[in-house]
Amino acid sequence: MSLVVDAVRKSFGSVTALDGVSFSVAPGSVFGYLGPNGAGKTTTMRILLGVLTPDGGEARWRDVPTRSVPRGTWGYLPEERGLYARMRVLDHLVFLARLYGIADDVARRDARAWLKRFRIADMEERRVGELSKGNQQKVQFIAALLHDPEVLLLDEPFTGLDPVNASLLRDAFTELRDAGRTLIFSTHVMENAEALCDAVAILDRGRIVTSGTVRDVRRTSGRQVVRLAVDGEDGGALAWLSALPGVTVTRPGRDFTEVVVGAGRDPQSLLLEAQARGERVLRFEIADPSLEHVFIDLVGRPIEDEAELHLASGGPTPDLADDGAERSSGARAEAGGEVA
Amino acid sequence: MRDPLFPNTVVVAIRELRERVRGRAYRLATLFLVAVAVGITLAPIGLRAADQNTVSYIGVYAAEDDLAATHILFLEESLNTPPAGEDPDRWERPYRIERVATPDGAIAEVRSGRRSAALIVERTEDGGLDFAYHSRDVAPLRDATILLAAQSVSLLDWAEIVRGTSDVPPYHQPKLRTVNETLAQDGGQVVDQQLLASRFFLAVIFVVMIFVAILIYGMWVASSAAAEKGSRIMELLIAAASPLQLMLGKVAGTGLAGLVQYIAFLVPAAVVVVLQGRIEGFLFGSTGGGAPLAGVTLHILAAYGVFFVLGFLLYAFMYAAAGSIVSGLDDLQLLAMPMSLLPFIGCIAAILGLPAIGSPLVVFLSFVPFFSPFVMLARILVGRVQPWEVALSIGLLVVSIVIAAWLASRVYRAGVLIYGQRTSWRTFLRAAGLLPAG
Repeated sequence: MSLVVDAVRKSFGSVTALDGVSFSVAPGSVFGYLGPNGAGKTTTMRILLGVLTPDGGEARWRDVPTRSVPRGTWGYLPEERGLYARMRVLDHLVFLARLYGIADDVARRDARAWLKRFRIADMEERRVGELSKGNQQKVQFIAALLHDPEVLLLDEPFTGLDPVNASLLRDAFTELRDAGRTLIFSTHVMENAEALCDAVAILDRGRIVTSGTVRDVRRTSGRQVVRLAVDGEDGGALAWLSALPGVTVTRPGRDFTEVVVGAGRDPQSLLLEAQARGERVLRFEIADPSLEHVFIDLVGRPIEDEAELHLASGGPTPDLADDGAERSSGARAEAGGEVA
Repeated sequence: MRDPLFPNTVVVAIRELRERVRGRAYRLATLFLVAVAVGITLAPIGLRAADQNTVSYIGVYAAEDDLAATHILFLEESLNTPPAGEDPDRWERPYRIERVATPDGAIAEVRSGRRSAALIVERTEDGGLDFAYHSRDVAPLRDATILLAAQSVSLLDWAEIVRGTSDVPPYHQPKLRTVNETLAQDGGQVVDQQLLASRFFLAVIFVVMIFVAILIYGMWVASSAAAEKGSRIMELLIAAASPLQLMLGKVAGTGLAGLVQYIAFLVPAAVVVVLQGRIEGFLFGSTGGGAPLAGVTLHILAAYGVFFVLGFLLYAFMYAAAGSIVSGLDDLQLLAMPMSLLPFIGCIAAILGLPAIGSPLVVFLSFVPFFSPFVMLARILVGRVQPWEVALSIGLLVVSIVIAAWLASRVYRAGVLIYGQRTSWRTFLRAAGLLPAG
């Protein structure tokens, strides 16, 4: 009784957006769908919504093909934000809720409650276009959940939110999960994924490169992170660490140095090496690599680079072919798709 | 069924309607149209008011000089007497009454419009008088006055004959023959030329109004779809409602907004048309039977309403599809010109076809759905159309609307998600389900 994505394939012309993607999400859990721009995240979400039809494979929710599931099952926050700028906030929320069959008075009442929850109750009569980007995003988030969907599909929900609003959103995530809702979200902020997700999947070039619980995924590579600090004026700067085979310094610091230790090396050997060099060790910590480390390992480039590439490309975001169109090694991609 | 048409189509339509009619531009445009419509319908009265200061020429033909002079005298006294309170020296006489040389010349001048009317007096064998009165416009008060004057002259003439004779001949009751020179023969039927001219005028007005409505309201539909894509709210909408629901709601809502605007300026215009006669009677003391909009009847208004709605629907679906395939409002401008070509051809065909409304080409075009809203309406207004022809034209139009809606929904569902990138036609048609996947 879960969301199952089974060997889903989708191409747009000559571009393969999804190539046999499979994963499952337990009901009532928070699932992080991670991947660089162009990986196929949005395409996957559109297939789940029934907006796009897969070329092969199937997506099912509680054993029913997602195309046949009532639209109200899903709440969707697209990556590209967009609202009617001239509509008033409350009217806008009520309009979208009514498309999901919610009665006018119920939608109005619940919308007011959520607006209050997100600290924008005083803006219900303002036109959407008069709101800041962050507040528009909160309105759009409320629009996604106002009809009380079983599953929330959230494409980059934290983008553009300040720390206070991001915290409000995280609290809402937790509350919704505790209320039995299933949340699937994509994000570039790995800290959010680590903090919120019960499980994640990392998608690259239309394929799942790893998936599972956050702990399992962090252990996928077999590498480990070591944080080491020694006594001295510059106790965090340990230049000799970078000379060790199988060790990569990821965060040289004044207080401590963080390194990633390869699978073939015992992290304890670093402690022995420090002692052998006569260092007085103040801190020695072994941890699993962060999701960001795993992501860089598997995808081969940091997320920030992806974001910069995306912004630098300029022009309208290719959408129908999703980010998949961007993978076409410089060639203009054909796009096509169908909407249910 | 996952996506029944209702209630989402209604929800979308209501939003479209509300947002449209609440806009300041909409309200200003509506007020402007009301002013223009009332102005147009009042124009004939204004023209007639201007006409008040012009002189009408009346011709009198009588073979006998005395008889002609007497008639002219009587008519001068009857028609050119200044109203009470007017200074006779400064008052402009509205009629010039002149003797004409021949009856045929008098009739020819009336037909050509040089004279408003001509009275032809003929002496009968029994010594009495007969009259033929030829006119080209409708002026009941003037006509009655002239004919009354003729009667009076006839009596005077008889009195002159019987003076001093004991053998008094019986009074010859004059024959009064009135001929309206604006009536012509067409296909064995009498056609009122003035009514025909009025119908021509109406046909041009109605056809142009449908054309403008299709262009403006069609672009509303297209720009609304394009704006939703441009603002990316389409992403939210297609998750909540099916493309067919969204498209039908958009067409219905925009169409209703257009209809509201239409009613807003048609109602005051219609009131003016209905009251035209009374207004003229109040202003000029006569009815406005000759007003250019006198040809408006209920069945013509009904035909106009039917072809307006059907024509709008046919083109609105095409505009919706066009709006869905562009990335934003800027791109839509590029499509505006080619999109307007079909209705433009229909409009021009209807107007140019008016003088030859029964020609095979015009008849053919009146059944072609893209053109029938214009051409069939023109045929109904100025030609003779069999009921089955109207029914067939409407039937074909309805079938075309259903096909257009189906095709547009396929294009719409593929088009609403395309942004930025170049898409081949084959890929697009496949995405729309109009070509098999390959």
